[in-house]
Amino acid sequence: MQLALNPDIIGCVTGEPTLTELDDIAALDRVYRARLLRFVAYSLGDQDVAETIVQDCLLKAYNGRHSFRGDCGVYTWLAHIATNLVRDHQRNRKLQFWRRVQKTAPDLSELSGLLPTRDSSAESQMLAHERAQQVASALESLSTNQRTIFLMRFIEEMDLQEICEATGMQISTVKTHLHRAVKAVRLKLGGGA
Amino acid sequence: MDIQFPRQQHHLTDEQFTELLLGTHSPSVRAHLAACPQCSQEADRVSGAISSFQQQSHLWAEHRALGARPVRANDPRQVFPWLQRPQAWTAAALAILLGAGIGVSWHADHAKRLQDPVAIAAPAAPVPPSTLKADNDLLSAIDGELSAEDSTAAGAYGLNTAARAVRTRSPKRMAN
Repeated sequence: MQLALNPDIIGCVTGEPTLTELDDIAALDRVYRARLLRFVAYSLGDQDVAETIVQDCLLKAYNGRHSFRGDCGVYTWLAHIATNLVRDHQRNRKLQFWRRVQKTAPDLSELSGLLPTRDSSAESQMLAHERAQQVASALESLSTNQRTIFLMRFIEEMDLQEICEATGMQISTVKTHLHRAVKAVRLKLGGGA
Repeated sequence: MDIQFPRQQHHLTDEQFTELLLGTHSPSVRAHLAACPQCSQEADRVSGAISSFQQQSHLWAEHRALGARPVRANDPRQVFPWLQRPQAWTAAALAILLGAGIGVSWHADHAKRLQDPVAIAAPAAPVPPSTLKADNDLLSAIDGELSAEDSTAAGAYGLNTAARAVRTRSPKRMAN
């Protein structure tokens, strides 16, 4: 994917290459896999496809590491590649039927027993789990862009400038998507004026 | 005494709420939160829910990533990307099953036919005697016509008599 590896598109100004962890694919995998997996899995709502895309993303980043100039964060660069791979996957409509049949959404309930128990009763844990499920459910109703930007901001904790670099969108567009996404989540959680 | 505002201005708008979550809210929003328990509770509820989702999705991803095969620089799946698609494996398995099914079915049918030669040799239905007689009469009539017109070289050497005798016996053999 040429688009994903072109630093000019994501606002990374050409300069001296700063090759760090990108040179070590094992380190790249170890540091960023889980984070990318979370982002891609909740963007697509399909954990199996997410794993494939994360593999592709890490390989593309490693193979194209000489294009990385270091003017944006490594994760921002990886998120940009992942976002393009997610878009490519969604554009490829040849196997939509199979996708619908085989879709395996990430299931937070399988990990409810692993939540930290410190300072929280079973009841509050259950409530927190329920709220998290409501957020996950609200995410499914969002458009692809709204979901991507919501995940980048509130789950990956990227700032607005990083989101602009990763998605290639203007800051006003990012804010609009974010506003709509927050509105949908707020409504889902029983709020909203 | 509280100042009465229209309902739309009484609570945080969606824009103000988004700014609050982003941490870019104005002092007036902060003042409103301090004075409005409903908005304050809602803000706590939404930010708490997002925080719970973040925490649980983080745990999920960590757990899931532990079981994943580490990526390698010379991953063969980059050379054959279709290998990593479950659809390709499903299609290949279906094709193999279909091919095997057709082969087994054809083989079973062929073996059955070989084991039952009577089924091949047996006539479809018994011929009624009246049809048999009519056929014999027709053949005899044809023999008669041919004998009368026989002017081949065999006749010149006196062989016609023997041939005629054989032809006249043949209808009786058919009746048996």
